[in-house]
Amino acid sequence: MTTRSRTALVGALLAIAMIMASCSSGSSSSAPAEPGTKASGRTIAVPADQPTIQGAVDAAQPGDLILVSPGIYNEAVNITTAGLTLRGTDRNAVILDGEFKLENGVRVLGANNVTVQNMTARNYTNNAFFWTGVKGYHGSYLTSYRTGNYGIYAFDSVDGQFDHSYASGSPDAGFYIGECFPCNAAILDSISEYNGLGYSGTNAGGNLVIARSEFRFNRAGIVPNSGSYELCYPERETTLVGNLVHDNSQPETPAIDVAKLAMGNGILTAGGHNNLIIRNRVWNHERVGIGLVPFPEDGPKDVVPTGDALTMPCSEARNLPLPAKDALPGTLLWDSIGNRVEGNSVSDSGLADLAFGTLTGSEDPLGNCFSGNTFTSSAPAAIETTMACSGPSGAWTDTLDLVALIASERPPSGDYKVQPVPSPQPNMPDATTAPGQPAVDLPERIDIASIPLPARP
Amino acid sequence: MTAAGPVAEVSTRRHLGVLAQALLILVGLAIIGAAVVVGRTARAEAMPSGFQRIVQGTVPQFVVRCAYSHSSTDDPIVYPGDPGASHRHDFFGNRATAAASTADALLGTDTSCQQALDTAAYWAPTLFDHGAPVVPQGADVYYRPGPGIDPASVRPYPHGLMMIAGDAMAMAPQSTQFVGWACGSGGDPQAEAPICPPDAPLRLKVVFPDCWNGRELDSTDHRSHMAYSRGGRCPADHPTPVPQLQLTVRYPVHGEGHELNLAPGSMYGGHADFINAWDEAELAGQVRLCLNRALVCGVISNKAEDVDRPLPTRA
Repeated sequence: MTTRSRTALVGALLAIAMIMASCSSGSSSSAPAEPGTKASGRTIAVPADQPTIQGAVDAAQPGDLILVSPGIYNEAVNITTAGLTLRGTDRNAVILDGEFKLENGVRVLGANNVTVQNMTARNYTNNAFFWTGVKGYHGSYLTSYRTGNYGIYAFDSVDGQFDHSYASGSPDAGFYIGECFPCNAAILDSISEYNGLGYSGTNAGGNLVIARSEFRFNRAGIVPNSGSYELCYPERETTLVGNLVHDNSQPETPAIDVAKLAMGNGILTAGGHNNLIIRNRVWNHERVGIGLVPFPEDGPKDVVPTGDALTMPCSEARNLPLPAKDALPGTLLWDSIGNRVEGNSVSDSGLADLAFGTLTGSEDPLGNCFSGNTFTSSAPAAIETTMACSGPSGAWTDTLDLVALIASERPPSGDYKVQPVPSPQPNMPDATTAPGQPAVDLPERIDIASIPLPARP
Repeated sequence: MTAAGPVAEVSTRRHLGVLAQALLILVGLAIIGAAVVVGRTARAEAMPSGFQRIVQGTVPQFVVRCAYSHSSTDDPIVYPGDPGASHRHDFFGNRATAAASTADALLGTDTSCQQALDTAAYWAPTLFDHGAPVVPQGADVYYRPGPGIDPASVRPYPHGLMMIAGDAMAMAPQSTQFVGWACGSGGDPQAEAPICPPDAPLRLKVVFPDCWNGRELDSTDHRSHMAYSRGGRCPADHPTPVPQLQLTVRYPVHGEGHELNLAPGSMYGGHADFINAWDEAELAGQVRLCLNRALVCGVISNKAEDVDRPLPTRA
């Protein structure tokens, strides 16, 4: 090759590289930013500039910071402006209180990139903090307690994160991410207690990480599930890593019926696919520490997706036609399929530390596997042989008795209005001085491999 | 077709030049568009829209869960001010609903609904099992744009609007587009009450009309001021789209051995009534923020079914 032709080749490659670079970075550098993806630099203070939080929200432009001073605010705040940062100056003293009359503390309705930080919401008949139909969300240093449905909740939303937050006293889930695939979301460094379910994630998954968090004193700990009664089925590709999950047999919590049924279990995937459950410490459960179980759905709307429909983003799958009514089974069986349970430490479980259950009646692991866990009991027996990740071997004995898992009386639901008041929770650093932080580039980069099995506190 | 007139008229003017040609193209496009709309309407004209067979999350909605409040033989729409004149009803929502109730009187009083600002009155006929009234577990209320209706066009009900859906006197199956029995929250409505499993017990589902005539809160027959949309449109004489209200009454009834009948007599006589006594600002807000913005502001899933017994296992 001559120097000239080499130069021409290098020039051409350079040109291609430049074109590619400009294409890939076009949205962030050359094209104008979407409203609300950058902080505006403006701050609206409550009550100094606006007497109410809703007043400040209504006066705000995309990217504004709303900084709320201590006080009790009897408001149900609705946000429809993109990129707002709603922040309390003191997490434990900026309190939204629904007085059991208002539905939601803060509701973000189709407004992208909204961040809510460093405040408390309590006594709402529905949810404390709720995002629906958004791309980009961030709940950080939030405290939620005594709510009639969920605590901290994202539905039909993607590209988000909950961190350093606390949720208690909900009959459904303290933390809930539902109806998204891929979700591109995370729950990090958070605490969930005294709820029906510590975490629930119906039909959520796809780069969804729950890490370094504690789920304790709930009816049941972490319970993602599948079902055709809401979109984006099945639940799948959720990573649970480095969590403390313990004492989730608490009989006095409020509880919807699924929470009653799931009572006494630490981590239970009900019909989930391809979840990764690694390096969690799980102890003290009346029934099962970590269980992969089926969810039989009566009166389903659809069948279990297969082939391309199984990997299709929810934004496309939602347009698929439903089968004819007479083509649907009376009961649709969602089996747990393809889940990996590795490197967890599980102890003191009433029925089994590790368990797999199926209603198919065969000794088929359905692609699920267990390896490298510390445990003393399992169903089937010798689960790390019969369902080893390196390849199953040997006959099954002592299989999981699903009847025993769900049978027996459960204590009735406690009243969500009288659940424990949490102790003061840590404040976010620099709450009064940090600029607005629209919810972009979330979830943060999480190095899964670096998250260890946590020590028992 | 009515479209033939304008085409002929325009074609005679072609000699007028470029302007006319452009006009012709525009009119032609308009005619094609009109034909598409007419075709769509004509297809849908066959059936008024009612029950939406969808997976929750597919369409915008907000939901209210209400506990059972009380029962009586009152009916403030059909027999206003005449206590005991009707068959027995189960009431949900406003706890004070009685024969003499008006929306103004109900506003701001106590409700059995989780949403404390929903002080509307909802009622349905009492279900009897072996002659004894069945106490419902509660009612779920779904508010959605009617099928195919532009979500942005939906307006809140006027304060005091009264509605009835279904026919109390029906002795034969009504259309399951509007009234039906089902198992669980997700089940599709059927004319006959099915035998339901314990974790998805019996429901009565009633869908109210979603178009209002824009003038009256009630009418002599309590129905003709409202209409069901057709093919994603409200009829010209009922031009105002309002939320499509679906009331689902939940009963602790499953398995065999029941002898069910519905007040006043036939199991086919499913119906329900509604008086809008919502907090006006709250209802307007829910319509504006959830329906008009095409968002799912809540779901009622079978996760929250009132299960009487543990889940069944399958061999």
